[in-house]
Amino acid sequence: MMDMQHNALSFDEAAAALPHAPLAMPKQVVEIERGRLFAALLARFVARPARSEG
Amino acid sequence: MARSPAHRAGDNKARNGAQNAAQDGGETSLARFLTLAASFAAAIAAGLVFYSYGTADGPDALDVVRALLITISTWWLAWGAVQGLLGLTSRPKPPLQRHAGAIRGRTVIIVPVYNEDPQVTFARIAAMDISLAATGDPAQFHFAVLSDTRSEAIARDEKQWFARLLADRGGKGRMFYRRRAQNIGKKAGNLEDFIATSGAAYDYALILDADSLMDGGTIVEMVRRMEAVPDLGLLQTLPKIVRARSRFGRSMQFAAAFYSPIFARGLAVMQGRTGPFWGHNALVRVRAFAESCGLPVLSGPPPFGGHILSHDYVEAALLARAGWQVRLDDDLEGSYEEGPENIIDHAKRDRRWCQGNLQHTRLVGAPGLKLWSRFVFVQGIFAYIAPVFWLAFIVASILAPHFAPGPDYFPDPYWPFPVFPPDETFKAVGLAVGVFGLLILPKLLIVADAQASGRADRFGRAATSTLAELVLSSIQAPIFLMFQTRSVAQVVMRRDGGWPANNRGDGTLSLGDAWAASWWITATGAVALGMTWQWTPALLPWLLPVGLPMMVAPVIIAWSSRPQFGHLFEVPSDGNPPQIVQLHDACLARWTKPAAADAVTELTGLNV
Repeated sequence: MMDMQHNALSFDEAAAALPHAPLAMPKQVVEIERGRLFAALLARFVARPARSEG
Repeated sequence: MARSPAHRAGDNKARNGAQNAAQDGGETSLARFLTLAASFAAAIAAGLVFYSYGTADGPDALDVVRALLITISTWWLAWGAVQGLLGLTSRPKPPLQRHAGAIRGRTVIIVPVYNEDPQVTFARIAAMDISLAATGDPAQFHFAVLSDTRSEAIARDEKQWFARLLADRGGKGRMFYRRRAQNIGKKAGNLEDFIATSGAAYDYALILDADSLMDGGTIVEMVRRMEAVPDLGLLQTLPKIVRARSRFGRSMQFAAAFYSPIFARGLAVMQGRTGPFWGHNALVRVRAFAESCGLPVLSGPPPFGGHILSHDYVEAALLARAGWQVRLDDDLEGSYEEGPENIIDHAKRDRRWCQGNLQHTRLVGAPGLKLWSRFVFVQGIFAYIAPVFWLAFIVASILAPHFAPGPDYFPDPYWPFPVFPPDETFKAVGLAVGVFGLLILPKLLIVADAQASGRADRFGRAATSTLAELVLSSIQAPIFLMFQTRSVAQVVMRRDGGWPANNRGDGTLSLGDAWAASWWITATGAVALGMTWQWTPALLPWLLPVGLPMMVAPVIIAWSSRPQFGHLFEVPSDGNPPQIVQLHDACLARWTKPAAADAVTELTGLNV
């Protein structure tokens, strides 16, 4: 696989380093939280009489 | 969630893009509706015909189960077939928007590596760098090698060969190497780490695999297309397989070169703004990717929880969710990859993909996704569970006679003569022909179309190769069925398959190696045929095409891993290798046998 005799160059850590230019990569929401659906339904159910009273 | 970039861009191009998108939307919806309707119709017809056949001797529960199983299995076959037919009946797209002036953005070409051969991999980078320089385009292109290599010995070699690459190509300041201490999140995590460190330095990122090879002209063209469409978040190419040597590898290479462009066109017609991402050989807009594709760790342990494995499908869905366009441009040439050389390596890769795709069951309901993205998840899951339905159908058919009610020759007590059940064999034969037709008809039509258009001329004996590919894929199908079923079972039993490195070597397998990997398929085939012979002898001729290849699986696996010589499975790149492949050969030769590179320099006119 290797033929290192042809390759006696030294690795320069600083020259190889990636440019420092950070970019935020916020985590995305991909799962429905447990109970969220139930909570949403419950919220609608509870909120409805309040609106009708108003 | 981010606002749609189309709203943010606000220039004429974006508005025109939105109008085109609306127009495309109608065509896309029609194409999706027609393909889905046709595949469902074929599936329901198959189910009804089978139910009619199965209940000829009186209905029972197993008839209903079998009819349901064949309905589901046929849908999957029909879905593939109609996609091919759509590709055949669609015209190539009119020329797409492209930015003709000077390229404004800076592009990084990302090469993630994981225990790969650094000499071969970095020679690809050298080749792409030469190819980019040859375009004469002054645009800025950088290379970033993102190593997740775990072996210290290979990591040392990576640094050595990177130093060689840097010196050879004068790459200081535009070629970078970084190795992570821990490979958290695997490839997706590797990419995320790069964006978190250096993402703001780039407008576009060309994401490659270690075995990817892309022509410089193609890369420049992709950037031009992305610059022209401000809301284009990801542009995917259709990579062609190169350098296949074995019978298995060359048949796959032939299929990828001969059939895949047609199936890809069918897919492109249906994609709309929600195209695919296959994880490599694709250009992304870094800002879009950063703001939309940060993947969380799923709750619970692997295989269903933990890091997202098949991250590409998810990233495509997330980009689309944020309003970015994801597009497959099937007209782009000059995109290459290498494939597995034998069935075992293919099955190993498939095991990884299976786990990743089944994990998507957790994501189908993700909030805000486009309906088509959800369907793509379902389709990916189906690709792995469809064989389980076929296997269940076969097992149910072997068992069926034990559950069938006995024939009643005198159903009417006042009628003295026996009434024989009608012969329904023609329905079973018709169904078998129909199902087999769904498998082979698109391929035969592609040959006919290629002969008529002259495309077949570039494939040597295209008709013979197609016939041979059909035979080979038919005898391999039961083996894949078993491997995929085992993969699904392992995932369902929550056994993590890990992330084994790809074997990109010679790939030839001895009979002993093949036996060690597939003896259980032989045993299953023998037991299944034995049980059928004992219990349901009438079913034996129907099961032989499945059972016999299973029994001789080690022979098929070892035989197909041997080198393929001659003109069978010829592809255009055999006679006239793409320039980028020649450049890679030359760069590799220069690093091993310097004199050998001179011939390629003479041939391509490019100084390697």
